[in-house]
Parts: sequence; C-alpha cells; structure tokens
Amino acid sequence: MLRVAALIAAKDLRIEVRSKVVTNQVLPFAAIVMVMFAFALDTDEVVERVAPGLVWLATLFSLLILVQRSFAIETADGATDAMRAAGVDPAGIFLGKAIALAAQLAVLEFVLLITAVVLYRAELHAGGVVLLVTTFVAATCGLALVGTLYGGLAAGVRGRETLLPLLLLPVVAPVLIGATRATEAALGTRGALVSDGWPWLGLLVVFVALFGVGGTLAFGPLIEE
Amino acid sequence: MAVTQNQITNTAADGSANAVVDRLEPRGHSQRRGATGTPFTFALGVATIVSMAVLVLFGLFLSPADVTQGESVRILYIHVGTVWIAYVAFGVTAISSGMFLWKRTSSLVWDRIAGASAEVGVLFMALTLFAGAIWGRLSWGKFWVWDARVTTTAFLFITYVGYLAVRGLGGSHQQRGRRSAVVALLAVLEIPLVHFSVRLWRGLHQEASVAGTTKVKLENLMLFSLFVALISFTLLYVWLVMHRQRVLAMQDTLDDKGLDFALAARRAETEPVLESAEDV
Amino acid sequence: MDDIGFILATYIATFVGSVGLAWHYLRRGRRLAEQLPPEDKPWI
Repeated sequence: MLRVAALIAAKDLRIEVRSKVVTNQVLPFAAIVMVMFAFALDTDEVVERVAPGLVWLATLFSLLILVQRSFAIETADGATDAMRAAGVDPAGIFLGKAIALAAQLAVLEFVLLITAVVLYRAELHAGGVVLLVTTFVAATCGLALVGTLYGGLAAGVRGRETLLPLLLLPVVAPVLIGATRATEAALGTRGALVSDGWPWLGLLVVFVALFGVGGTLAFGPLIEE
Repeated sequence: MAVTQNQITNTAADGSANAVVDRLEPRGHSQRRGATGTPFTFALGVATIVSMAVLVLFGLFLSPADVTQGESVRILYIHVGTVWIAYVAFGVTAISSGMFLWKRTSSLVWDRIAGASAEVGVLFMALTLFAGAIWGRLSWGKFWVWDARVTTTAFLFITYVGYLAVRGLGGSHQQRGRRSAVVALLAVLEIPLVHFSVRLWRGLHQEASVAGTTKVKLENLMLFSLFVALISFTLLYVWLVMHRQRVLAMQDTLDDKGLDFALAARRAETEPVLESAEDV
Repeated sequence: MDDIGFILATYIATFVGSVGLAWHYLRRGRRLAEQLPPEDKPWI
C-alpha cells in the first residue's frame, strides 16, 4: 500500500511540476482572495485582528480548486478506473493523492502566510514558531485527507463536481476553527498566548487521525463504479 | 420472441384489464386508498392525527404559560419534538447505511430506509431551526446564537442536504447506496468533532452565558404536553418513513423495469432483421 | 400580543410542512402505483 502511495504521489506531483497549474493559477487566486478580504473588511485594525482566519479561509477556498484539479487529472483519461481495474490498492491511491495534495497545500499556505505578514501586518515571533509549524502540518494533513476523500466522491461525471463545496466545507469546519485559534495563539493576535493554542492543536490531530483511518477505509467503496 | 407493443406500453393494457377486474372483485385496502397505504399505516395515520390534535390542544391552550418565559414555552413543545425526530432520523439513516454496507445484511431496503429517513430528517431539522430561531427571538431577543448545540444542528442540516444531493447523483442503485452510505457514516464521525470544536470555541467567549438561560421549570401539564409532542412526532416520523420507503421501492422497480423494457425494445429492433435474413 | 403571532406561526409552519410532505408522498405513491402490477408492491 505504501509503495503504491509513493508512486501515485510522485505521479501527481510530477504532473503538477510540468503543468504548473498550482503555481500559475491557484496561488494567484489565493492572493487575490486575500486582497479582496482587505477590500471588504475596510479598516486595518479589523483586518489585522482577523488575519489568521483570513489565511485559513483563503486556504479552504483554494483547497476546493486543488481537489478539483487533483481528480480532473484522473478522470480526463479514466486513469482511476484503469488503476482499479488493474487491481491497484484503493487505500494506496487515497494516501498517494492525499500526500500530493498536502504538498501543494503546504506551498499554498506558506505563500499565504507571507502574504498575511505583508498585507495584514501579521507578526511572527520566536515563541510561537513550534506551535505555528505543528498547526500548519496538522491542518494541512487534515485538509488533504478530507479533500481527497470527498474529491473522489465528487469527481468525474458532469454534475458531480459542483457538489464538492457543499460536501467539503462543512466537514472542514473543525479544521477552520482549530487552525485559526491555534494560529492566533502562535502569532499572539488579540493578546492570545501560545499556551492557549495547544488544545486546538489536539483537536486538529484528532481530526487527522479520524479521517486518516476513515478515509482509507471509505475511499475504496467510494470510487467503485 | 418479439415484444408486443402492449408489453412496452404496459399501462394501456393493464389499465383496461384492471378496470374490468375492479368491477368484478372487491378492491384491496391500499388499492382504494392509494398505493403505499396498508391497514397498519392507516391506523398509524389516524393515531398521528389524534395525537397531534391533543398536542395542539394542550400545547396551545390547556397547558400554562411558564413563570419566567411566558407564552414562548409553547414553542418548545414543537421544537423539542422536531429536534428529537431530526436526531432519530439521522441515527436511523446512519444505522441503515451501516447495515447496507455490511456484507451480511446488505440489501437495497436499507438504502431506501436511509434515504427516506434522511428526507424526513431534513424537514424536521429545518422546522427545528425555524422554531428554535423564533423561540430565541422571544426569549433572548436574538434569532441565532453561536453555541455548540445550535451550530451542530445547523451543521447537521447542511450535511443532510448534501447527503440528499449525493443520492441524486444517478448511477445504479448499488452505487447510489454505497456512495450515500459512506457519506452518512462519515457525517456520524464529524458530528462530535463539530460539536466539540464549537463548544471549545464558544467557551472562550463571555457571550456563551446567554445560552445558559435555557433552564425551564416543567410542571405537570407542561411535562405532559412535552410527552404528547414526543409521541406525536414519533408517530408522524414512522408514518412518513414507511410511505417514503415504499415510494422509493416502487421508483427503483420502475427504473429496473424501464431498463428491461428498453433492452427488450432494442432487441426487438434487431430480431426481425435476422428473421428476414434467415428466410432468404 | 406579538408573542402569540410567533407561536402560531411556528405551529402552522410545522403542520404545513408535515402535511405537505405527507401529501407529496401519498401523491407520488399513487402515481407510481398505477404503473406497477401488484406483485411489485409486497406490502399489500
């Protein structure tokens, strides 16, 4: 299963490196979203206060596009069906695609964090670095797992992709809440202390564990046609 | 064997045949009443109506107003009734989904029960949120509050809507069953997560104390009204799900038959050509 | 009393919703049943 996962992940990432869809399309989209937040929210104080939340919101919206892309490359040539017919382990496909998605998400989030520092004057400080990094890692894994799972469900047949936002966004609500609160604690936004953030990290880890196991089990039945 | 025109458009043939039979034989209960009814559901329906009437009588008139909340407590009889059913419906959907996925008990009946229960559940979730908002407006002056229970209920409502959308995606009945069963079970996983996240979240804010004023001192008549509400809505739920499940069963059968007829018609198109070739 | 208006609205909405759904199911059932022979309706 792990070997399959590694092969699939490498394939997805290679496709991305060659097509550069994330770098040329998704990152600019995310950046525009960040700018539009500032337009909508008007005052500097408000924007600076909610900066962590905005970073994660922009990540979620971009996640929808990343997931669509991740499965568009499969259904274009019926690749997933071919793999399944060849007896490839669906759990391996699931983990492989999730890993590739996580890598793309990580790049996206890093860029968004920098953007927040520049546009919203968010401040990074040394005390919160550990919390910040672990939060981003946990949230990224959680989003990648859930995204791949529901992406598999919504992929393919016309009329199914529009279902993805409706299915995915409610599910990632705990990640949004947890990651935002933890990031606020790590950055010291609104006087939050780093110590406040650890329970939220715990929530994120539980999320990753649940959907890691659940997703691996559920992916097979979901892509069976 | 060639398929006759009548067999393809079978309603015409059956319709006229039935008309003859009906005049000669006494019709069964559900033929008279419409197709998904049986004596049991008829009795159940009557019981539901009676129960609801009692609920309105006690809820709106015979039970007293609350000491602290005044008349708005009357909404609670409806609200508690609908939220109870909404969660029961969700539970039934989840369990049925599990039964469908489990190899030993797998059957499309479970899939249809899951779907029927979810539809009814969506209605009651919506009614719950509506009544709850009205009650909140009357009790606290706000239509909405961001506490764990309310937010989780809203979340559950959206999830249900998504579940029903997944059921409508098309494909074979087995595919529909498998996809929606997985979605339902994943939702079971998310509910405690969402509930806990919101609880943790709102625990940080002082405004959470507003939700604390939900304690209602229930005296005898009010408690009775509440019980009547629970019973009424349970009866209603069972009635609705039974009928809906049967409608779904007929729908599925028709879909299968439609496919059979289409295949037969297709075969009928090719066979006459073969026959004439043999003649030559 | 303004409150009574809200309360009645809730009861009415609930009953309209429930009766509406029930009616919808019964009608669907009737229309489908016309197209199926009795052996496809095992609950009868």
